[in-house]
Amino acid sequence: MLHKLYIEKTRGTPEVVFDPEQNTLILRGQSYPENAFKFYEPVLEWINQYFVQCNSPVFVEIKLSYINTSSSKCIMMLLEKFEEEFQKGLEVRLNWYYDEENESELECAEEFKEDVNFTFNIIPLQEEV
Amino acid sequence: MLKNMLLDLQNNLRAYRVLISFSGRFSQGIIEELGDAIRKYMEVEDKPRNSIYNVFAVFVEQTHNIKNYVAEQECSPYYEQIANSGIITIGKTDNRYYVCSGNLIQHKDAGILSSRIDKLIDLDKNELKKLYKEEIKKDLPPGSKGAGVGLIDIARKTSQRIEYSILKLDDNLSFFSIKVQV
Repeated sequence: MLHKLYIEKTRGTPEVVFDPEQNTLILRGQSYPENAFKFYEPVLEWINQYFVQCNSPVFVEIKLSYINTSSSKCIMMLLEKFEEEFQKGLEVRLNWYYDEENESELECAEEFKEDVNFTFNIIPLQEEV
Repeated sequence: MLKNMLLDLQNNLRAYRVLISFSGRFSQGIIEELGDAIRKYMEVEDKPRNSIYNVFAVFVEQTHNIKNYVAEQECSPYYEQIANSGIITIGKTDNRYYVCSGNLIQHKDAGILSSRIDKLIDLDKNELKKLYKEEIKKDLPPGSKGAGVGLIDIARKTSQRIEYSILKLDDNLSFFSIKVQV
């Protein structure tokens, strides 16, 4: 049985709460670690294991107020994994939250959305994330 | 004597309208501290979230570029010199902010760097977006520290033409500097 993945938030890395029982995957905070690939490696590894056994709809929540380029690459890899499962018939629903007053955050969300076909809701937040 | 040195330094910083500066070896901790300081400064000035975000993003990409370059130099005979050569300043022009950074590079790397920037300078926003998307999807060589798209991201966030210079110091080392206005 796959355990819940929890990574505490730091200034440069987001909080990760991936719950295999609830089928909820949450990323919250900012992402500009010293080495993004090292940070996201266990996250992507967990997702691989999770999808081996997952057959219920998956709900993803992303609230990232800043993502640097190397983290963007990792987030893209994560979304590609969701897309693969979606193409195989899994239901994937993603809510991407952004600060309503920040068009750069919105643009970033829209660019990720362009490359996927699963449900990808972009939701404005009134308060700062 | 000491007093004059600091006053001179401060006057110089003022003349260039530098708000925040750091010179020396970058660590992730220093990058995070300076990043927070810029944000807080701009928030107090009540700048739009969008421009705070862009200044912060350009700052992060520039400092990570330097840090990654330094890491690549680990086996080079110039490692110590290069590692200690980083400098970053964030300042103001009349109605914009600028992020200007510099570091030593091996002269043999100058050509590739300038051709990468020259290629980006003349692209418009749509072309930059297209290039960014193409590059970020490419597989990376093992051991890569970054996604290799920091400069494209910087070019996407600048409001003016990127300025840069590479000054040859001796047969081996050059000083690279880049200035980006947001």
